[in-house]
Amino acid sequence: MYIIVIGAGKVGYYLAKELLAEGENEVLVIEKDGAKCERIAEELGDIVLRGDGCEAATMSLAGFGRADMVIAVTGDDEDNLVSCQVAKVKFNVPRTVARINNPKNEEIFRRLGIDATISATAAILAHIEQELPTHPLIPLLTLRMGLEIVGLKIPPTAAVVGKRVGELMLPQQSLIALIIDSRGSPNAPTGQTVIQAEDEVVAVTRTENEGALRAALTAPSTSEPFGAAASGQ
Amino acid sequence: MEYDSLQVQDVLVPVDGSPAGFDALALACTLAKRRKGTVYAVYVIEVARNLALDAELAPEARHGEEVLTKSEDVAAELDYKVEGEILQARDAGHAIVDEAIERAVSAVVMGVDYETPLGEFDLGNTALYVIKHAPCQLVLLRAAARE
Repeated sequence: MYIIVIGAGKVGYYLAKELLAEGENEVLVIEKDGAKCERIAEELGDIVLRGDGCEAATMSLAGFGRADMVIAVTGDDEDNLVSCQVAKVKFNVPRTVARINNPKNEEIFRRLGIDATISATAAILAHIEQELPTHPLIPLLTLRMGLEIVGLKIPPTAAVVGKRVGELMLPQQSLIALIIDSRGSPNAPTGQTVIQAEDEVVAVTRTENEGALRAALTAPSTSEPFGAAASGQ
Repeated sequence: MEYDSLQVQDVLVPVDGSPAGFDALALACTLAKRRKGTVYAVYVIEVARNLALDAELAPEARHGEEVLTKSEDVAAELDYKVEGEILQARDAGHAIVDEAIERAVSAVVMGVDYETPLGEFDLGNTALYVIKHAPCQLVLLRAAARE
């Protein structure tokens, strides 16, 4: 597989190193900074091209036309976006992955057709949120087409405790993929699986339905059941 | 002080078809002959990134064959033999150093033309890389300066 990594900072360097260690990949790192290029060439060999990964001329030289994957991991969201978008639109690269520094840009990247985004900030936030009871829903992975995988723990006070999965009124295009019980055993749920307090639920949902899903699974039993807006499957 | 003169056995010579490259080959044969070492002549085809490394590059390969044939002729004139090889690589410097390591040669003998692209002598990236990274002795033979 021919993989082009744009940006030779720490992320790009270690990424290239790991990809090379897999043994089956042809890897090229594109970097503007001459000193970083030298370091890569010294340590990883002839896998670096000095140039601007946002420029079409550099991209042609780098062979984007035959790349299987482009991964943009510079410290600049705009550069990562441009590189991935040009790779996708002009060179028809089958898979583009972009690093996002500002989590607010994630939606823009998704709308512009970048296949996958990785946000270290969002990942750290997710870990922090896991520890905070005020943020019971944790985004785990962004998928294509506006879908994502989320995780949440069922609070003991939730109305869904004791109910079967088949009875739950989940938002549109949301489904529960996995339930990890309080002893840590993972189970693929069926319609008959009964939700227990402290279960960890892994679900797939649309990004815009995150809030509705959270409400459906965590609303306390004293409140009104989840409303009509979130009742369609 | 006892001086142990240059002891060269197996030698790697990058050849690119330039007179400096053939001069280096002749020098390598002379050096290797003393200890009956092997002279490896390598012609490196630099493959652009928009092509796979193992892409078939017929015109370049043909030129490589011609250069290696001429290398054999140069060695034959000195009553010696060379082992020729064509390599495909992204960068000639890296390929030469890797080949020197793989063949465990005791020296690389390299010829460089007297090039003055911007009015001053420029050694070129390939020679610079080999000077910096070759694990063995390196003999650099620069062509005479042009008037």
